[in-house]
Amino acid sequence: MNGLDAPILPSSIAWGLLIAFSILWVALGWWLGRHNKTAEDHMLAGRNVGMALATATAMATWVTANTTMTAPQLALQLGVWGMLGYSLGALGLILFAPLARRIRELMPRGFTSGDFIRLRFGTFTWRVFLVVSLIYAFGWLVSMAMAGGVLINALAGIDYRVGMTVILTVCVIYTLLGGLRAVIGTDFIQTIIIIAGAAFIAWLTIDKVGFEAIHFNLMEERPELLSLLFPAAIMFLFNNLLFGVGEIFHSNVWWSRAFAFGRNVGFRAYLLGGLLWLPIPIVAGFIALATPALGINVPAADMVGPLVAAEVLGLTGAIVVFIVVFAALASSLDSLLAATSDLVTRDIYRGHIRPQASEQSQFRATKVIVVLLGLLTWLAASYRGSLPIIGSLAELLYFTGAFVASAIWPIVAGLYWQRANPQGAAWSMILGSGVGLASYFLIGFYVAALVGAAVSLAVMVLSTWLAPRPFDWDRLARDDVQPKGSPA
Amino acid sequence: MTVSTTALTLIVVAATLMATLTPILLLALFIRDWKKGCLW
Repeated sequence: MNGLDAPILPSSIAWGLLIAFSILWVALGWWLGRHNKTAEDHMLAGRNVGMALATATAMATWVTANTTMTAPQLALQLGVWGMLGYSLGALGLILFAPLARRIRELMPRGFTSGDFIRLRFGTFTWRVFLVVSLIYAFGWLVSMAMAGGVLINALAGIDYRVGMTVILTVCVIYTLLGGLRAVIGTDFIQTIIIIAGAAFIAWLTIDKVGFEAIHFNLMEERPELLSLLFPAAIMFLFNNLLFGVGEIFHSNVWWSRAFAFGRNVGFRAYLLGGLLWLPIPIVAGFIALATPALGINVPAADMVGPLVAAEVLGLTGAIVVFIVVFAALASSLDSLLAATSDLVTRDIYRGHIRPQASEQSQFRATKVIVVLLGLLTWLAASYRGSLPIIGSLAELLYFTGAFVASAIWPIVAGLYWQRANPQGAAWSMILGSGVGLASYFLIGFYVAALVGAAVSLAVMVLSTWLAPRPFDWDRLARDDVQPKGSPA
Repeated sequence: MTVSTTALTLIVVAATLMATLTPILLLALFIRDWKKGCLW
């Protein structure tokens, strides 16, 4: 599956680590969520998350398996620009900082990104947004579950479906037990594990190989990796930047945190989280540049990180990589499960099926929806390769690029442009996604996000210029976004 | 035009140093929030 002849970690040790960390996450999830009594507790962790937990959860959620595994791959393929380009993904978090403050100010009692779109742009745009947002969320969920199975198989030789099932089940259980409080609490520990593990491997690689040897061997064997004028790498840099901004701006994963963080915490937490995230792809990616100096033959580019770690550190390196990857997968999967179940509960169940649903019935519905989402994700990830779209992680992620990028401008205009046209917002998402998808199939995966964002921007600006619709910002705070049937 | 050894060293050491200090900073923030009673 990964092109490696043998796994780098004995499966007995891998099973021991899987079981130990699974017990830890589930126990923490139960403990953190034991006082949750309402849907608001479960979905937004009491709306007063402090700076430490807020910063860590922003970082942990943005550090996915892609960051820990793809950063070394990109350094190996695109050189210095590859790891620097990946680190610019931090700009998504940094640029979201002012949006998080604005969201909290405009909607102090908001629950989801769907709440905002419904109140700001009306029902039609809300429904379009839900389609875009749910396609992306489900795509990301499936890709993370697939990544779990693939990585556990590659690292330890555990069967793909078994590994994927274990990690998905663990995340479903602790999200179910503790809601966002469990997600944020475990994210804090996972962030420390991921960053400390990546830094540990980087320092030992520096110590064992040294920069002189790395530079000399690269100049001899792969000089293009040190080039500052590597066109493919520079194109990647911009594409990655746009994709990251689109992912963060529209997704309920980040909106639910903006609602959950305490007053005046959101801006500082997203800003600090972004700044602290900036070096992670460099730290995780740089070790790939040591492969010529170490004389490692890399059979599969996406396994270069674990290979170098195992070469430099032996069994300890393999164990550290396994723990870091498990933590990175769990920190993203749990956030997605929680935020997507919130969106489905608030905007589909309460918004479309049972508008009079009480606080308690929403609380129960959220839990049922987490389980259903887990099952659907498991089904889709189990049959990867059999479905037309779900081929590989990269294909799946790039496919969602058109949807993601087309939502950037409606969100920005909705938050800051008082005269933004609501119909224009809907059509900018429809046409942006449509033309972006067409370019994905007709031109190539690398243009889907770019075309989607460009079309969406043109439609948003043109529609508002031709037919401006003034909006009263106070409506967002004034209108009832509390669950219907709950006490005022 | 290639990256020199010095530039590569500076970029990677700065990033690794920052990553090393991040867990310490997060723990310090955690302790501060905990003492002030504003973790959640």
